[in-house]
Amino acid sequence: MSVYRTHMKIIGDILTTTRDDLPDEQGAPITYLIRKANISHGRISKILGTLVSQGLLEQTSSDGACKYKISNTGREFLQAYNTFNRFADNFGLTI
Amino acid sequence: MAEIVLENILNLVGFAVGLIIGIISAIGFRNTGSPTLFRLTLAFFSISAGFMIMWLGQTAATFTTQDVRWVQTIGIGAQTVGYFFIAFSHTIKSFFPKSRYLRSVGIVPLFLISFISIENIIRSFSFILLVYGAIETIMSYFESRRRTALFVAAGLGSLALGEFLGWYYFVFPQSILNVVSISVKIAGLLMLFVPVTKVPLTKIKFDGNF
Repeated sequence: MSVYRTHMKIIGDILTTTRDDLPDEQGAPITYLIRKANISHGRISKILGTLVSQGLLEQTSSDGACKYKISNTGREFLQAYNTFNRFADNFGLTI
Repeated sequence: MAEIVLENILNLVGFAVGLIIGIISAIGFRNTGSPTLFRLTLAFFSISAGFMIMWLGQTAATFTTQDVRWVQTIGIGAQTVGYFFIAFSHTIKSFFPKSRYLRSVGIVPLFLISFISIENIIRSFSFILLVYGAIETIMSYFESRRRTALFVAAGLGSLALGEFLGWYYFVFPQSILNVVSISVKIAGLLMLFVPVTKVPLTKIKFDGNF
């Protein structure tokens, strides 16, 4: 059965990947994030743009390709996200 | 006399529990921007306000000879709005998770009712919303296996039972049903508070950047 993921959950997945599962220190390329977060290129591009503009992700260029890694603000956000995700989960809800 | 004391305890416990859960949900909403946490904030602030209004109504009734029953009716109405937002959050998750249009029109005026026996009608709405919320929370427990969800489900179920007994009290006014109803509701509110004790408050950053 497919499980519907909210926009917030997808952001959580992307940030978790860029925090815990980076292929190298410079960050994760977009194709890696697409595979890990299981999301289309068009959709992830918009989300990554928003996350970079909000300061949750840092964008770096390496070998002509964009790479992404989590910022300190992103780490704080992810910590708050995980805390309140559990809180909402206790009420049987998904944030 | 015991009933008045118990009702005061119920109203103050309900006010405190609703306010604390509402504040934590509001902090969560400010930190994450989650619409679910926004709905929880509305729900628990509304429940908290409802209990406070009922307490004010009851206190006013002891100091005045005028009929201030309408204040308590407003309090019950505010609580029902809170229960509605809890049930509504489950409805969004269960029935139309993908449609933005359906989400946007989800809040339709469901409470277009006459003023006749308005308190009993509102209680029956509360009962239905609470039972629905309890069932959905149990279903969520089977997915997440998070034990605190069982406390929330039991809490909502107890509040529903309390509403039901409170409604039945109108049929048998000389019975002890009202005392039992209030006691069950207090127990339900305390069970709703259990998830709050699991939130690591020291790790939450209290700023308004998000």
